[in-house]
Amino acid sequence: MIKTVDLEKVYNGRGQEVRAVDGITTHIKEGEVVVVIGPSGSGKSTYLRCLNGLETLTGGHVHVDGIDLADRKTDMNKVRREVGMVFQQFNLFPHKTVLENLVLAQTKVRKRKKKEAEKKGRELLKKVGISDKEANYPSQLSGGQQQRVAIARALAMDPKVMLFDEPTSALDPEMVGEVLEVMKQLAREGMTMVVVTHEMGFAREVADRVLFIDYGKLIEEGTPEHFFTEPKEERAKMFLRQVL
Amino acid sequence: MNTNKKNRLWWTLTILVLLGVVAGLWAATNRIDYTWRWNRVPQYFVYNNEDIKKITFDGTVSKIERNGNKTTVTVQGDDDTIGTFIVDTKNLNLNVDDYLMEDDVVGSTSELKAGPLSVGLWVTIWISAVASVIGLVIGVITGLCRVSQNLTLRQLSITYIEIIRGTPLLVQLFIFYFFLGTVLDIGREASGICALGIFAGAYVAEIIRAGIQSIPKGQMEAARSLGMNVPQAMVYIILPQAFKRTLPPLAGQFISLIKDSSLVSVIAITDLTKSGREVITSTFAVFEIWFVVAFLYLILTFSLSQVVSWVERRLAVSD
Repeated sequence: MIKTVDLEKVYNGRGQEVRAVDGITTHIKEGEVVVVIGPSGSGKSTYLRCLNGLETLTGGHVHVDGIDLADRKTDMNKVRREVGMVFQQFNLFPHKTVLENLVLAQTKVRKRKKKEAEKKGRELLKKVGISDKEANYPSQLSGGQQQRVAIARALAMDPKVMLFDEPTSALDPEMVGEVLEVMKQLAREGMTMVVVTHEMGFAREVADRVLFIDYGKLIEEGTPEHFFTEPKEERAKMFLRQVL
Repeated sequence: MNTNKKNRLWWTLTILVLLGVVAGLWAATNRIDYTWRWNRVPQYFVYNNEDIKKITFDGTVSKIERNGNKTTVTVQGDDDTIGTFIVDTKNLNLNVDDYLMEDDVVGSTSELKAGPLSVGLWVTIWISAVASVIGLVIGVITGLCRVSQNLTLRQLSITYIEIIRGTPLLVQLFIFYFFLGTVLDIGREASGICALGIFAGAYVAEIIRAGIQSIPKGQMEAARSLGMNVPQAMVYIILPQAFKRTLPPLAGQFISLIKDSSLVSVIAITDLTKSGREVITSTFAVFEIWFVVAFLYLILTFSLSQVVSWVERRLAVSD
């Protein structure tokens, strides 16, 4: 589904070269749930943002469903509609109601009829458990509810892959559970997911594979059992000692 | 003491201070022996235009047809000319077979006409309105160019903004009227409106740019990651939010535009200010007319700010 080959993202800030993503090669298969973990500033978010072209690559290749994002002729908008993304800060459209948030891209990008898009939107709101809030504005919702709307908004486009960029990091602790529950349900349904998170419990329970990234490099990858019980690399061990 | 009572005291104080200022002004004008003639002002808003119809030949009234307020009088001339006059019924003093000599009065018509102050007010309103629309269109386009990825678009918009903001509007008006007006052969109204619109556009552009840049980056990223292209994201996501945020400064800009429109009087457009000056030359009621003109501008700007704050309240539902 997603293949990255020697993926590289280098920033040049104030004459200093920052290698945010430094040669990551991996293959995310269809239906797989991949959790990306690593210390803050390790480049894991940047890596995720490269997967749908929010960051332009400075080297290497990303193949999404066979299409190379590094190819200048690739229509990014076409790729992005197949790749859903959920952000740390939700990024709901504050001037639109919950239902309008779900409908807008369906009608403008997927060219669906408004009726059809609203029906789809309502189904998804029901799925994430907030069908009674469709006429509210995002500011009237709690953080957890907003994040669930954001997930529904991404799902409304019928993506083949879902990317989650620290979806629970901006939430109050009591709201983390409801969002993770929705994500677990998605995973059970067989959605291909790439999740950047600090929720080790989620990684252990849901992930098929864990990628540990530090200094922009893929340090260790493997099943959760392997990663959480017997990591090989010293840096992974240190990280786990700090977070567990 | 409860807050209500306290507030009422402060209200009273405000009114007292304002009354004090008015009393002071009144006392000051008393000392300079100025005769106030407020009664002369209303006729410059609306006046009764009386048109006296006189006959230009000798003849006999042959027919009088009453038709509501108007009456048609037909006069059979001695030398076979026939004249018909339409006059107001209420002032008619003639009967059939009355003999009229040249220069006799047949009757008169009167109608209410807009005086110079009303006409000037209207000119100010439509010049400001058209210039505002031009300014908004130019401003939005330039604002978008200002935040564009394209270097040339960015540089061109900055050049435009710096030139317009860096020169006085009065000078721009003269350049538009004397230079562009002559070269492009456009009239004084068109030159004036263009100058005002282009002037406002530069400020609107900066307001729009600030508005766009104040929207969190995540909004654009969210729109793009849903597959929208940049124009779609701008139109449906960024601009509506930016517009809402920039409404107060935009309102200020358009209020300024209404006031700045008084400068077009220097290129002989008869707007409110120029009408005021013309009325003063015939009445010498200098104080009264300038106060009235100021008050009329105040009505325009105040109405606009009320409309904008109403729109602002409407848009605030999503907060």
